[in-house]
Amino acid sequence: MSRQQTQRLASVLITLTAVLVFVPVIVVIVYLIWQGIGAISWEFLTQPPRNGMTEGGIWPAILGTLILTMGTALVSMPFSIATAIYLAEYAGDNRLTRTIRMAIVNLAGIPSIVYGLFGLGAFVLAAGFGTSILAGSLTLGIMTMPVVISTAEEAINSVPQQFRTVSLSLGASKWQTIWHQVLPHALPGIITGMILGLSRAAGETAPILFTVAAFYVPTLPTSIFDQTMALPYHLYVIATQVPGMPLKIQYGTALVLLLITLTMTLIATVVRTAVRRRRDW
Amino acid sequence: MFCSLRRVPLVLLIILVLLVSSACSRAGQSGSAEASAGSGRAIQNKGSDTIVNLALAWAEAYREVQPDVSIAVTGGGSGTGIASLINGTVDIANASREMKESEKEEARANGFDPVEHLIAIDALAVIVNLENPVDRLTIDQLADIFTGRITNWKDVGGNDEDIVLVSRETNSGTHVYFLEEVVRKGEKDNTDIFAPQTLLMPSSVGITSEIQRNPRAIGYDGLGYVSEHEKMLEVAKDAQSPYVMPSVATGADGSYPIARGLFMYTAGEPTGAIADYIAWIKGPAGQQIVADLGFVPLTEE
Repeated sequence: MSRQQTQRLASVLITLTAVLVFVPVIVVIVYLIWQGIGAISWEFLTQPPRNGMTEGGIWPAILGTLILTMGTALVSMPFSIATAIYLAEYAGDNRLTRTIRMAIVNLAGIPSIVYGLFGLGAFVLAAGFGTSILAGSLTLGIMTMPVVISTAEEAINSVPQQFRTVSLSLGASKWQTIWHQVLPHALPGIITGMILGLSRAAGETAPILFTVAAFYVPTLPTSIFDQTMALPYHLYVIATQVPGMPLKIQYGTALVLLLITLTMTLIATVVRTAVRRRRDW
Repeated sequence: MFCSLRRVPLVLLIILVLLVSSACSRAGQSGSAEASAGSGRAIQNKGSDTIVNLALAWAEAYREVQPDVSIAVTGGGSGTGIASLINGTVDIANASREMKESEKEEARANGFDPVEHLIAIDALAVIVNLENPVDRLTIDQLADIFTGRITNWKDVGGNDEDIVLVSRETNSGTHVYFLEEVVRKGEKDNTDIFAPQTLLMPSSVGITSEIQRNPRAIGYDGLGYVSEHEKMLEVAKDAQSPYVMPSVATGADGSYPIARGLFMYTAGEPTGAIADYIAWIKGPAGQQIVADLGFVPLTEE
């Protein structure tokens, strides 16, 4: 085989591989839309399930997922951003910093079911929150922290060094520099990381399994100590536990969950692209 | 964006303080079932996957009876429900088997006596694929099949094909009941176990869908989960006894040999909303739902 032929073969193979990665995503999305779009109606999105969940809608599960996502943001954002600022701006290269970084890397690698069990032990039982939105949000919040910390740190690091130098040379303190110069410029990047972390949290089943998710609750949650239904768990339940469940509702539920997480990812991508284009440095 | 950033930490701080303070007030009153039910919080009901759809139907219907009482239903298996009752995170545990003595001791160690409420009867149907020619088996044959002593359908009057065993997983009360009453034939000193090649399914629906797919499979499920897409076998206590088809009638009169009680457990005698709920379940309205879902309702005595 000549060099040119090898070259052509290699490029064809590599292109094919790249396409293969792309295909499952498209197949899943197209198939879900094709099978599930028929189930989606105003009633499906706004009504509670009825008649043993085989009729009616999935509103309590949608609302539960939105509440949990918000709770996750409230838990994870302050800690993650503070940690990122520390790591990017204050931390020296010492043993403490290295330990913290190692902990973050390890946190990112922990399987989600372990977070679920941790949440059960720490928040549901030890802290006495019970199976509740609070326990679920805390668990999901901790799970998303590694992602948010690393993207936030990256965003802070990408703010040019000159901004800090100039700010400090004008007499601003270190904190003033961070607050007025670094954070505003890093904010879009931080928000992007946050949304990506949240979209993962919104789709997770294992961490909410023991900490918050209910098979069925006839009422919407009224406090952070209530259990709630949530889309990923609801999907698991109707696909495996309920006899005579219409396939249409299962596909419809999967489609709604996919649309929620896809929308969040899309928003993150748009924010990032828009900011990159507007960036004047 | 830059101006509003100034207010972000203040808002976050307020939210955190609120979260923490409400958390503390809740932590103080956690534990007792009455406290949680009386304060307008949902009654938490968790456990058996056999009962979960029944519990869902009750919770749904109870809204009409008591609109201000909300019942949160969760599955996970009888073991999960009982463990949650023991560590105080649910008000009512659902179980498709009786609580073990060891579990009762754990409960007492946590400061309460678990109280048992019989809420329905469940006939366990042995099911095979519609194409399977076998119609009837004795408990002894079932025990031989599920322990792996019989591995071919021709030994029990079927085709010359391997038998595929399908069971619920060990956390399931249905699994425990079938193990004790069928695999071990109710003998206390019998230590037989399911054959290692048994497929363990995470739910009742998992078993029925495997049976529908696989002509060589045999499994068991609560009567309420069996449909016309699976074939139920007639079961006899032993070779001399009559073969009986599982049904609501044969479950209620005791002629079908594999029928068991379904239970709810509470931490101590229930009071208030929880007591009302369990009384309603045992009453005519609750038992009508039991019958509607294919389980066996409690008889009057």
